[in-house]
Amino acid sequence: MEYIAQFYNLRVVLNYADTFLQGIWATLWISAVCLVLSIVLGVLLAGLRMSKTGLLWRPAAAYIQFIRATPLLVQIYLVYYGLPELFGGVGILTETVSGIIALTLHTMPYMAEIIRSGIQSVDAGQHEAATALGLKRHQRMVLIILPQAFANVIPTLLGQTAVLIKDTSLLSLIAVFELMRAGLTVMHENVMPNEGLLTVAVCYLLIYAGMLVLSNVVQRRLHGGRYQPA
Amino acid sequence: MENARSHQSEAIMVSIEAVSRSFKLPRAGKVRALDEVSATVRQGEVVVIIGASGSGKSTLLRTVNALERVDEGRITVNGIEVTNPQSNLNRLRANVGMVFQHFNLFAHKTALENIVLPQTVVLKRSRDEAVSRARELLSRVGIPEKADAPPGDLSGGQQQRVAIARALAMNPKVMLFDEATSALDPETVGGILALMRELADEGMTMMVVTHEMKFAEDVGSRIIFMDQGKIVEEGAPTMFFKAPDNERTKEFLNQIL
Repeated sequence: MEYIAQFYNLRVVLNYADTFLQGIWATLWISAVCLVLSIVLGVLLAGLRMSKTGLLWRPAAAYIQFIRATPLLVQIYLVYYGLPELFGGVGILTETVSGIIALTLHTMPYMAEIIRSGIQSVDAGQHEAATALGLKRHQRMVLIILPQAFANVIPTLLGQTAVLIKDTSLLSLIAVFELMRAGLTVMHENVMPNEGLLTVAVCYLLIYAGMLVLSNVVQRRLHGGRYQPA
Repeated sequence: MENARSHQSEAIMVSIEAVSRSFKLPRAGKVRALDEVSATVRQGEVVVIIGASGSGKSTLLRTVNALERVDEGRITVNGIEVTNPQSNLNRLRANVGMVFQHFNLFAHKTALENIVLPQTVVLKRSRDEAVSRARELLSRVGIPEKADAPPGDLSGGQQQRVAIARALAMNPKVMLFDEATSALDPETVGGILALMRELADEGMTMMVVTHEMKFAEDVGSRIIFMDQGKIVEEGAPTMFFKAPDNERTKEFLNQIL
């Protein structure tokens, strides 16, 4: 008993319940904001990437490659320390706002590439039929192509969302108070790594499990009840 | 039987003047899919376009609603110039119904919603009006019970019926059929051809690309035979099938009849 208590003292963890709940809440809402922003902007970026005009698709492709090729931590520091230099000095953006900007800039290209593959997976005949019926260009995209594109790539989007949720942990390094920061606080105040980090790991796992349940519900809706969960 | 030709009037519905279109193919180089093609379709006429694969017949059909652009020449439909960049193409396309070889029903919508969507979006009809029109047309094409089925649950023939209903919902002035029966099982082909014949009998102006020679002979007001991007022979079905002028036409007919 004592051995277990030494390895992981639940009483200490429960004393910090508020801290962890605060951390979970921050992780969830920051992830949600980044998710919505990166999907909306990702659609636009995918549009640029698929353009036939070099002036549009080349910068889009370069941006996507830049994000893929550089570490997220570098991107976070660039936004946190570097971006304010452009607009009159450090401190103009809060840690949380910087974090959201950095994570969105980082996640958006991945979402854009997933959405692009979704759009390309929609049969060309769908676009032709919509054109022949007289739908305008944006109507074809919004009403015909994108709904099918999203339905085709939902599992991949969910995978990327899981990555996004885990990536928020790096924001602890610019002092954003989220789940990881909560765990670090517990670890440092008590010199108890397991009570801090193991709890954090379990919390991420629970968030992931919740997301899986949610995604199965969404997919069942989209596929009209014919979807078999994996 | 009432004949489609009795509906013909003098009004010109589709006019194609010296239209050319080239494609660049990776291996074959530049191919002239349409080579100064001219044709006229009068109101109520059923013009059947036949020819071998790659003769340009589908390309010609697709230029009529500007799914395919043209390099040179002029096309007008119901008085609107398709080839003029200033024309409102989407407005024009709503007047031209098109039925495709592979049906192209919107895969994420039910049969009914496939017919409702373009009415509410393009024609700005109210949802109630669009739904009642859609149900009426589904009955018309013989599958009222399939209203709530997604396209994936329908057979090829049923999908093509929905596609025809969807095109008719827009009250088109002209209907284009691009090998509408080529992807169907032999036993389903007859049903779709019968439906097309009904439309013709009601006076619909139609341009039909097909390999169904019996349909061409019975329903066509005029046959256009294409070869290598040119119209090489054109005439009434009786003349065309009994006494073709052109050597290439004779060769083609010998092969298929």
